Amino acid sequence: MRINTTRFGRIDVESGDVLHFPSGLPGLEDCRDWALLADSTNDALGWLQSTTRGDIALAVVSPRRFVPDYQVRIPRSELTPLSITDIRQAQVVVVVARNGKTLTLNLKAPIVINLEARTGRQVVASGELPLQYELTQERPPLKKSA
Amino acid sequence: MLVLSRQRDESIMIGDNIVVTIVDIRGDKVRLGINAPSEVPVHRQEVYEAIQRENLRAVRLEPGDTRDIGRFAGRTGGQDRPPEAPRR
Repeated sequence: MRINTTRFGRIDVESGDVLHFPSGLPGLEDCRDWALLADSTNDALGWLQSTTRGDIALAVVSPRRFVPDYQVRIPRSELTPLSITDIRQAQVVVVVARNGKTLTLNLKAPIVINLEARTGRQVVASGELPLQYELTQERPPLKKSA
Repeated sequence: MLVLSRQRDESIMIGDNIVVTIVDIRGDKVRLGINAPSEVPVHRQEVYEAIQRENLRAVRLEPGDTRDIGRFAGRTGGQDRPPEAPRR
């Protein structure tokens, strides 16, 4: 499958590498098929590229590398559509955005991917977690949720 | 909008497989129980809208914006692995 992307030019994706999000993503409900790409310069970073819209891509990272005390708790009902019974079967990534010059991570709504089944879903994690966790040198501790 | 009156422990059905039950009423707070198939996402509206806004903000990010993100990355730890993707 060949995708003309605005960010990465023309890329080829094996159809077996496509991740299917049955409900799309909130705000991007029409984008159901995505390819996970490694960033060419930064090994901590990946990009979820829509396979149907070349202009739609989300930067994603593994949250543990940036927020060591991030412990994601996800209601089981959110995981059953992915055929996941144990969070350890899942790859968890969070979406990167930018607030002015500061990069932020959406810790409230991580994306859970079942790499074997090639399915994914953005879920709402339990507890008080920020939608915009700012990446700074100080690493602000996460407020413990009740 | 369809408006229905319900008492505690009464329910409404949406389609043939979604049941919304009034679990408790206290002052101006109502607790709802929702039984829906697992493929039907159920969200608090304000939370869902906040995530929508956040995703639409996030798609504006360009590769140049993330150049410095490595400065904030620690070593891989825990069960998470970095994204597995074909190297471009």
